[in-house]
Amino acid sequence: MHIIVCIKSVVTEAPIGKIVRTANNSALNPFDRPAIETALKLKENHGGTVTVLSMGPPTAEAILREALAMGANRAMLLCDPAFAGADTLATSTVLCAAVAYLKPFDLLLFGTRTSDSDTGQVGPQTAVLLDLPIVTGIHKTTFTPDCLIVERESDGFQETYEVNFPAALTIDQTAAVPRDPGLEGIAAAFDEMPVETISIEQLNLDSARTGDAGSPTRVLSMKPVRKNRSCQWIEGTPVKQADSLVRQLVDKGLIG
Amino acid sequence: MELLLEEKHRAVRQSVRRFCDRELRPIAAQIDQECRFPWEVVEKMGKLGYFGIQVPKALGGAGLDSVSYAIVIEEISRVSAAIGLCITVHNSVAVYPILSFGSKEQIQKWVPPLARGEKIGAFCLTEPNAGSDAGGIEATAHVDGEDYIVNANKVFVTNGGIADICLIFCRTDPSAGARGISVVVAERGTNGFVVGDLEDLCGMRANPVCSIRLYDCRIPVSNLLATKGMGMKIGLAALDTGRMGIAAQAVGIAQAAFEEAIRYTKQRHQFGVPIERHQAIQTMIADMATQLDASRLLVYRAAALKDKKLPFSKESAMAKLFASEAATYVTDLAVQIHGGYGYSKAYAVERYYRDARVTRIYEGTSEIHRMVIAKSVLKE
Repeated sequence: MHIIVCIKSVVTEAPIGKIVRTANNSALNPFDRPAIETALKLKENHGGTVTVLSMGPPTAEAILREALAMGANRAMLLCDPAFAGADTLATSTVLCAAVAYLKPFDLLLFGTRTSDSDTGQVGPQTAVLLDLPIVTGIHKTTFTPDCLIVERESDGFQETYEVNFPAALTIDQTAAVPRDPGLEGIAAAFDEMPVETISIEQLNLDSARTGDAGSPTRVLSMKPVRKNRSCQWIEGTPVKQADSLVRQLVDKGLIG
Repeated sequence: MELLLEEKHRAVRQSVRRFCDRELRPIAAQIDQECRFPWEVVEKMGKLGYFGIQVPKALGGAGLDSVSYAIVIEEISRVSAAIGLCITVHNSVAVYPILSFGSKEQIQKWVPPLARGEKIGAFCLTEPNAGSDAGGIEATAHVDGEDYIVNANKVFVTNGGIADICLIFCRTDPSAGARGISVVVAERGTNGFVVGDLEDLCGMRANPVCSIRLYDCRIPVSNLLATKGMGMKIGLAALDTGRMGIAAQAVGIAQAAFEEAIRYTKQRHQFGVPIERHQAIQTMIADMATQLDASRLLVYRAAALKDKKLPFSKESAMAKLFASEAATYVTDLAVQIHGGYGYSKAYAVERYYRDARVTRIYEGTSEIHRMVIAKSVLKE
């Protein structure tokens, strides 16, 4: 079984103006860790290989090494000036081409969202571009030789699907507790394993479809939101304080 | 600072920091107060390779370099110096001497379980009457058939309460002075191997530091490390590496105190402003930051020299001397910045202050390190 996991190097600090990515303000998207873990568990229990894939600047190599340290077999960085400034469509276009480049595969995994731009679009969009079936927000996967049984929750219902290979899934955070990369894994990831860098030419893509040029989205402005906090003292006995607190929270519609 | 490090080192730091912040930080104050060794975390550390940081992969270790080693110790000590102590002593003065001086059979027998953290190592040199003057030890080992009969009273043994494999420094030739000292490896459980009560220490309280006594303990002659009379050489080589670990530990403690102090200066208001606005506080912050950075640079330099297989004995002594003095200075100022609260166990700086103090004492006092450095400088 060949599992491809698409991961992202996210910005850990809210940017003021244009984002400049450095090693110090980038990290592996925490929502991608359960997807990596799910892939590694499937590999350990049923055999196969795990390839991690990311589109990003050269600094994104660090997160691919981290995935290698966790136990992935192969890492590929899609890195080209022509990929810069991509929205989710342009990102999905590049990932789609890279997945085609990595064929054959059985499963294509994503996190459900990212901790920086948080659109949740790249997984489903890439699956559509690849004409793959996709199930999102997976809590549990059960492997059978012919198919994968996956469970998701939506609107208070649990849905169970049988998915044939190849398929795409976005993995919910509750699906797996991601492992820590051990020191031996880190040593191997940096001393022994390559991260392949792939450019636009190798993917045979038209630069009009990638990066800023291929992005219909235009962000008009981005600024941090200031929340005004007010502090209120509630007087009285503990019971009265609790009553008052609950009533105020209900009145504000925060609890029901 | 980060410019000196490779991406690999950054990854090591990030990984260890995440693990320690998640697993160790929530219990760090509690294990200090309860003098409890947190097996539940330590077992996980074993699986992550912390017990065989520089041991080759073929022997069950992580196969990392010395700079990575320093970073691991620094990061663990930033959260719990007592556990950082466990890891550094195990790696540097227990595993490393076996790896460097042991026979093939000894390495195969002892190193893999030590590297995986299934067994824990200890270094037993100090005695009631022999500390800085290590050549003055009184422990003895004499041959009887296939065995040594060892009698020893070793005190302040780091990891003593949990150690399975102990390097015992003893006199195999009482008439040969320092040249008559050898190292035999004693395994816990051997008849006559007695673990003493826990020391009630000022700091490092989560580490089971205690005495280990050997009463007519029969240890196979095959457990002799290297050859007879090599004890001082093994000890000094181990301590060259060990003192780098202690220096890294001191950096970790100072870093933790520094971070707490910075946080507090922004939070605490006096005279109508956060105390970070007061020049007296700023002076302290500047001195702390400078001492901390200088310590770290000295540690990384010593580690980088070792990685390049260049002499690093003087440099690791300098790193240990400076970083341990800096750690007591920085933690002292962190307490000062916290005022009365800093003197309370409710605030972490109180623990850092206690933990920092011993870094100037163990694995060679500051005074001994000055001797080592001066001797080396004057010889150049």
